[in-house]
Amino acid sequence: MDNASKIAGMRKSFGKSLLYTLPMFLITFMFMTGGKPNFADPASGLAILTAFLLVNVLYFFMHYTGKTDRYRAVLFIIFALSLSYTLIHNMLEVRKSMSFSQADILECKIPFCHLVIPMMILPAIFTKSIIFPGSIIGGFANISSMIVLWLVATLVLGRGFCSWGCFYGGWDDGFSRIRKRPVIKKISELWKWMPFAVLIMVTLSAALAMMPTYCSWICPFKAVTEFEQVTSVESVAKAGIFLTLFGGLVVVLPVMTRKRTQCSFLCPLGAINSLSNKITPFTVKIDKKACNECFKCVGVCPLYALTPEDIKAGKVSLFCSKCGKCVDACSTKAIHYGIRGIPAGTMKNFSRNLFLFVSFLFMAVFSAGSIISTFQGLLKLIF
Amino acid sequence: MKKVKIIAGISWAFFCLILIIILFPGLNSFSVSVSKLPFMKLNPRYTGGEIANQIIVESCTLDIRKPVFNGFLKEKNSGFVQLDWHGTIPNTIKDSIDYDHDGNKDFCIFIDRKDSKTILYPINKKVISVLISTPTSYGWAVRVELIK
Repeated sequence: MDNASKIAGMRKSFGKSLLYTLPMFLITFMFMTGGKPNFADPASGLAILTAFLLVNVLYFFMHYTGKTDRYRAVLFIIFALSLSYTLIHNMLEVRKSMSFSQADILECKIPFCHLVIPMMILPAIFTKSIIFPGSIIGGFANISSMIVLWLVATLVLGRGFCSWGCFYGGWDDGFSRIRKRPVIKKISELWKWMPFAVLIMVTLSAALAMMPTYCSWICPFKAVTEFEQVTSVESVAKAGIFLTLFGGLVVVLPVMTRKRTQCSFLCPLGAINSLSNKITPFTVKIDKKACNECFKCVGVCPLYALTPEDIKAGKVSLFCSKCGKCVDACSTKAIHYGIRGIPAGTMKNFSRNLFLFVSFLFMAVFSAGSIISTFQGLLKLIF
Repeated sequence: MKKVKIIAGISWAFFCLILIIILFPGLNSFSVSVSKLPFMKLNPRYTGGEIANQIIVESCTLDIRKPVFNGFLKEKNSGFVQLDWHGTIPNTIKDSIDYDHDGNKDFCIFIDRKDSKTILYPINKKVISVLISTPTSYGWAVRVELIK
C-alpha cells in the first residue's frame, strides 16, 4: 500500500474491507443464484461461483487497497470481452454467422443497444414511433429493458455509465492499457467536443432518413458484435467504415495515446451522458487546499476530462466518467469521489464508499449474465 | 444553507442507491411500463405496415400490407408495400397484386424460392422495383418499392 492511500485513509484493514464487501457479497449472491444455488450442472455451478468470486474479490480489493481504477478496469474489460463472446457465440449457433440477414431486419429481431438511444429521440417525439428493427418487449436485448437500464444508470452515474456500465467501453479501455507510455502525447483538446457534433449529425440524419444511421454506417463495435450481411456495394462500404473506425479508434489510437479515443472523440451517447453529469449525485471533486498542482491527474485521465485550468479552478469537466484513474494517481488525495452538496475535501470516505457500492453493484449485476455464460462456454471448451 | 445542500445531496445519493438495488429485480415490470408509453411502438418502416388484405389459397396465405410512406415530419415520396407469404408455400410463387384496392392489378410478382430469384412485372407506373425478397422464419417476404 502506498503512503498516500494510508494518509488519506482510503485504505481499510482486512476485517473492515471484508465488512464493507459483505453487502455486495449478499446482493450479488442473490442476483447470480436467485437465492437458490443449483450445482446440478457442474459447469454452470462453477461458472457462477467463478463470476461471483471475481466480482467480490475485486470489490474487496477496492476497499483494502484504497485504489479504484485498476479493479474497476478488470471487471469492465472482462464485461466487454464476455458480452462480445456471448453475442458472437449465440449468433454463430442460431445464424451460423456474425452477420444479420434481411429477414432478421424484416422480423425485427435485431438486439437493441444503448447507442441507438440518441437517434430515437426526434422520431419518438414527432412520429411517436421507434426507428429500430428490434423487439419492444420480450426477447433478447429488447428496447424497453435497454432504455430502462440506460436511463436509471445515467440518472445515477451520469457519464459514469461510460466507465461502469457500457459494455463496449472495456474494449478501448483495455487497448489503452497495453503500452506503459504513450507514443502520441498531444492531441488537440478540441477533439473532445467531437461527440457533440456526431450526436447532432446522427440525431438529425436518423430523423430525416428514418433509420438509425449511426448503427448502419458508423458504429465501430459492429466488429465485435454483429453487422449487416455483405451482399452489395453499400454493405461493403459500411463494413469498410466500421472496420476502419474499430481499428483506428478502438485499437490503434488507444494503444498509441493511452486514452479511450472512441469514447472521447466519437460516441454520441457519451455526449448525452456528459450532460447528465450535471444532475447525478456522484461527482469527482478537487480540494484546492490539498492540491499541489502536479497535474498527474491531467496526464492519466483517459477521456481528456481534466485540464490544468480545471484543476486550478477546482472543477472537473462534464466529460468525467468517474473511472477513478485521477483519484488513484493523486499523491495528496486532493482529487476524490464526492457527493453533490458536500464541500470538497470533506466526507471523502463516506462519498467514496457510497459511490463504489452503487456503481460497482450496477456493473457487477449488469455484467453477471454474460460473464457467467462466457465462463460456461470456456469450461465446455476445456473439458 | 450549507447543511441543507449536504442533506439534499446525501438524500439524492441514497435515493439513487435504492434505485440501483431495485433496478434489476424490478426490470421486467419497469420495462412493461415503459413499453406502454405512447411512442413505444415500431415505425411501420420496420414492421412493414398493417395488414390490409389477406388472400388464402389452400394452405398458403398471402398478407398484403398497407403501403408505407412514413417520413419524419411528412410522408416521403418513396415508400414500399410488403407482401408476406406463410403456411405451405409452393416452390414457385406467381401472384398479381392490387396494393391500392382500386380494382386494378398494380404488379405481378414471380418468385423462384429454390434459386432465390424474384421478378417484378410492374403494371402501375408507381411500382418501381423489388427492394427485398427473402426467406423468413414464417415463409417468404417481399418489399416492393413504390412512389406516390
